[in-house]
Amino acid sequence: MARHVIEVRGLTKTYSPHRAPVRALDRVSFTVDEGQFVTLVGPSGGGKSTLLLILAGLVESTTGEVWVDGEQVRGPVPEKIGIVFQDATLLPWKTALANVEFPLDLRHVPRGVRRERALALLEMVGLQDFADRYPHELSGGMRQRVAIARGLVQDPRIVLMDEPFGALDEQTRTKMGQELLRIWEKTRKTIFFITHSLTEAIYLSDVVLVMSPRPGRILDVMPVDLPRPRRFEMMGSEAFGQARNRIWKLITEGEG
Amino acid sequence: MQRTALAGQLLFVGAVLAGWEAVSQWRWVDPSLLPPFSAVIQILWVFLRDGAFLADLQVTGVEVLTAFVIAAPLAISTGFLLGEKLHWGEVVNPVIHVVLAVPQSIFLPIFILAFGIGFLEKVIFGITHAYFVIVVNTVAAVRAIPAPLVVAARSFGATPVQIYTRIYLPAMLPLVVTGLRLGMIFNIIGVLLAEMYASRHGIGRLIFSWGEAFQIRELLAGILLVSVATIALNEVMRLWEARVGRWRSATLGS
Repeated sequence: MARHVIEVRGLTKTYSPHRAPVRALDRVSFTVDEGQFVTLVGPSGGGKSTLLLILAGLVESTTGEVWVDGEQVRGPVPEKIGIVFQDATLLPWKTALANVEFPLDLRHVPRGVRRERALALLEMVGLQDFADRYPHELSGGMRQRVAIARGLVQDPRIVLMDEPFGALDEQTRTKMGQELLRIWEKTRKTIFFITHSLTEAIYLSDVVLVMSPRPGRILDVMPVDLPRPRRFEMMGSEAFGQARNRIWKLITEGEG
Repeated sequence: MQRTALAGQLLFVGAVLAGWEAVSQWRWVDPSLLPPFSAVIQILWVFLRDGAFLADLQVTGVEVLTAFVIAAPLAISTGFLLGEKLHWGEVVNPVIHVVLAVPQSIFLPIFILAFGIGFLEKVIFGITHAYFVIVVNTVAAVRAIPAPLVVAARSFGATPVQIYTRIYLPAMLPLVVTGLRLGMIFNIIGVLLAEMYASRHGIGRLIFSWGEAFQIRELLAGILLVSVATIALNEVMRLWEARVGRWRSATLGS
């Protein structure tokens, strides 16, 4: 049996700003195996992003624990976890190449080493010719590719992705999904992917975690029985439709 | 397009100067009221080789620089604290904006009573002029730091110091430099005003006394010199501003 590379136990998160406390996550527990592509799907405004920030060690949970690769997460662990954010969050004053290098630069990796590594990753995401461009000179899809390269640059075991294609048009989004699967098959990272698109979740994943509206609970852990490599036409298959309906039912029932 | 615009602008300035020269040379206006441009340039040329004049110029220059060198770090640190510590800013920022409406020039007599009419008074008056506008711009610069970039940097393992140097600094620089440029203009206004009002030295005092003595040629030469110097300084700072803010205008503009 594969090793649990992520283990989440009883996570609860309550925000208590000035007014009444808001519960974002409610007793969330799950595991992710090494090399799996796991997607967390749920309605917008649920606790999805909060969960990702807790996994990344950027936000503290109210109760519960996160274990990554046998160690409890108590703060950012960049050597183990790479992150790709919703809006790419590239530094606008740095070129694509310098952005990919940035995490290594922070850790004082020698210039030559980090340049070589960043260039290799830019090539993998198909942007070797755009290394010297600034973020505002790139399209939305290109910016997300740079962000993916940056998420991989520290060679982490796990990559967390927070609706990385949410702001892209449907065509670009589908292409980026295929691109991501190609990268995943090549690098064999464990990917934890957040989306509100049921189609995207099923198309990409080995396992779909279905989350309820706020407060976020895991309603179901659903293995996806579609063969790999995934192809675009599979979206029209019966198995795909059934999986979709099942998630839809879970989420809408969750609204109560 | 830009070239044509620049050519047009230069042509306009040239036309104004030529017109000035012409109306005075051909005595359409009394040359004792408006001496020709060439005569003003001539006397300016004499001034620029005159030790006493250069000494006055130096006094003003040193006052302006001293005030700026003190005001800039002071104002930037104040602005940073007010921008970063939200509850301090909530209290202080509105006060600054209200106080900014009051023309500082009306306080000059108080400054003179407190600090005399020497170097110290000029410098302090320059500092108070520059200070607030730099503070306001620095507060805006802190507020303009994109929070997601800070979160991203933290997730890559950035230390608090790295967050400041690698995210805050470059993100803030464009607006801070704008503040510095405006602060420099205000600073010069403050110092010259203090010199013109009551002083023994400085280009401001010279300009004022030439005006009183009806020495229009000298007066215009002084005005011309200060104008050219401040325009040059402002343009240099604008280049700096454009340089550090290139990413910003490109990002916001598109």
